[in-house]
Amino acid sequence: MFFRLLWESFRRQRRRKALAGLAILLGTTAVTAMLALATTIGDRIHKELAVYGANIVVTPKADQLDVKIGGVDIKPSTGGSYLKASDLPKLKAIFWANNITGVSPELPVSLHLANGQQIQATGLWFHHNLANGGSSMITGAPAMHPWWKLTGAWPTAPDEAAAGSASGLHIGDTVKANGSALRITGLVSTGDAMDKQLLLPLESAQKLANLPDAVSRVDVSARTKPEDAFARKDPDTLSPQQHEIWYCRPYANSIAYQIREAIPGAQAQQVRRVEQNEGNVLERISGLMWLISAAALLAAGFAVSAAMATAILERRAEIGLMRSLGASKGAIALLFYSETGLLAVFTGAIGYLFGSGLAAWLGARIFAGDGAASGSPVLNPVLLPIIVALAFIVAIAGSTPSIRTSLEMDPSTILRADA
Amino acid sequence: MSDRNSHQPQLSFAGILRRSLTHRRARSFSALVALTVSAAVATALLTLYADLNAKLHKEFRSFGANVVITAPTSSALPPHTLAQIQQAAGPDALIAPFAYAVATTDRGTPVVVAGTDFPAVQRLDSWWQLPHWPTAADAALLGDRAADFIADEHAVKLTYADKSIALTGAGRLKTGGDEDSRIYIPLAAFTRWTGIGPTVVELQIPGGAVAVQAALTRLRAQFPTLQIQPVRQLVEGESRIVDRTHALMYGAVLLIALTVAVSVLATLSASVLERRRDFALMKALGGSQSQLMAMFLLEALVLALAGVVFGYIAGSAAAWAISQINFHTATLPRLSVLPLVLLLNIFIAAFAAFFPVRVLRGLQPAALLKGE
Repeated sequence: MFFRLLWESFRRQRRRKALAGLAILLGTTAVTAMLALATTIGDRIHKELAVYGANIVVTPKADQLDVKIGGVDIKPSTGGSYLKASDLPKLKAIFWANNITGVSPELPVSLHLANGQQIQATGLWFHHNLANGGSSMITGAPAMHPWWKLTGAWPTAPDEAAAGSASGLHIGDTVKANGSALRITGLVSTGDAMDKQLLLPLESAQKLANLPDAVSRVDVSARTKPEDAFARKDPDTLSPQQHEIWYCRPYANSIAYQIREAIPGAQAQQVRRVEQNEGNVLERISGLMWLISAAALLAAGFAVSAAMATAILERRAEIGLMRSLGASKGAIALLFYSETGLLAVFTGAIGYLFGSGLAAWLGARIFAGDGAASGSPVLNPVLLPIIVALAFIVAIAGSTPSIRTSLEMDPSTILRADA
Repeated sequence: MSDRNSHQPQLSFAGILRRSLTHRRARSFSALVALTVSAAVATALLTLYADLNAKLHKEFRSFGANVVITAPTSSALPPHTLAQIQQAAGPDALIAPFAYAVATTDRGTPVVVAGTDFPAVQRLDSWWQLPHWPTAADAALLGDRAADFIADEHAVKLTYADKSIALTGAGRLKTGGDEDSRIYIPLAAFTRWTGIGPTVVELQIPGGAVAVQAALTRLRAQFPTLQIQPVRQLVEGESRIVDRTHALMYGAVLLIALTVAVSVLATLSASVLERRRDFALMKALGGSQSQLMAMFLLEALVLALAGVVFGYIAGSAAAWAISQINFHTATLPRLSVLPLVLLLNIFIAAFAAFFPVRVLRGLQPAALLKGE
């Protein structure tokens, strides 16, 4: 009997069910879309913020003092200490290896041209496959400096090079430097002092300068957690448990600490200009998304419970009839709650699907060309139970006052009144 | 309409309206809540949206200088250039002069010493990590790496072209950039010591790529001999991120507005449909179609207006709270969003009243009153 009532109610009152269902459907769609966007916004904005370049820089510990003004080395260091390029794959083995999204080593060298002049050059990775065990990534200077503008192509062979746009060289030129011929394959505009330099493959620079395996600086881009008071603690003063917690959080400081551990003789530091402000911007934008999601949740909750309340109020006559036919209050409440619950779960699940699709579409449209959407799946399984439970709770809570007052009214009054 | 109306000679339009709103309070109340929510959401989102760009650009100011002005090689900036640059760049621009020289430390290591205006740098480069900003006229802020090449960090002795200077160490500076290998001292002391004036001016122009481009054009026209370069990654990055956040917010506003509108529509039309008996009765008593429509419409409009009043207050409060929590600055209520909110709410209410009335039109009063 109960199930028949339930079934008939859905079958016969399609319009009412459709209206209440529509309210829940839209509410859950909006909330799912907002939550799905809010949970991925961190990653997406981090990808956008990558245009600011590295947030961690690794240098050799016992280095001489740089004498640099405006990016130009006034007294280029002779000798000095270097990191080993062969140590770099170790970066892919640290605790937060998966958070490292870019690695770009540099080796500035000074080359003698055939006409006796000197030219500054920098050895770089262009599209280097950094692999360690199972994990590998293609990385290098172009990926870490998205604001560099290239005409032509990046060098791919050891005897090729790219030239800065202010170097006076052209694509196709051949430069004889330190006795080797280098063919210019591309012109790069960097907007800084590198515009006057040659950009060589790292291995070529090492060979020309006779510094095998040497690297003087490594830029690292890592996905980090914005710094808080705990992040600023000196790890060596913490208790072992606290140290463990500190170590296992993706703070820029902990990642730098792990890099220092992994690479012998390295000094790793956060680039505060990038790291501090990125965290700030990231926090603001994702905070905004979360607060708006909360507002959406609140508004959708109000709208859905108002819709449910109206839907029940409409059906007072039914309640009166059932009561006068002898149904207990409990049985009627159960019937109405089951109807509401079923509707909420069903439309909530559909709303989840719509919302996820909508979020993916919106995300792909707004953040087009980042490849950000491809990284995260369209459906976030964690959201499904949350959304369905929310829809259920809001619908039940919204209909409770109406069911309550309807049950408390005298059935005869309800039936007589023009309900 | 009960027999209590009998002592009233005539049913006025306003009387029906008043009774209809007060007679079944629960229903009127739920409609009012729905319309208040829709107005509040619209107000909050539109207020935030209108303020978003300004707020985001403000966040990006903390990234520091986005334009660098350099004097041509081996010459200082002409005097009064600083004031002229400030004038050309606008009063909102942050501006800090720098002068550089290579001196030797007490250990004989060459080091870059920079003379600058500390209060200006403090505004420009908020990410510098240091114990406290120096105020003394002979303070020396030691870069974290440079400090390792100095024997006495409290009484710093530097030599430039055989002229030495004694400075008071003001602590270590940590940035993770080139600054770590330098020593910063006040510009006046620097110029007295080395005779070198500022050669580099760092500039922070607020407002994103368009504003920076406009300022660049102005500056280049006014100072043709100086080298004026934007810090490309900052200018491009800021615009990209602001644009995308803006688009995201736009999507969210549309989505939420639509949801709330449709939910409110569902609630309101259900409550109108519920009253088909009233409708049938009025029709049976001789009410014309247009009279009845006007009746329903007016009721909905009264509710919509009340909803806008409460919703505008609640929504402005919500926008204020959100920006206070998130951006730590207040967003004041904007009257300019009111017409749009009003329009939206009236549209929803009118649609919610019209839609069921059209459904009801075809019904026969007699059949309805019989209870079918």
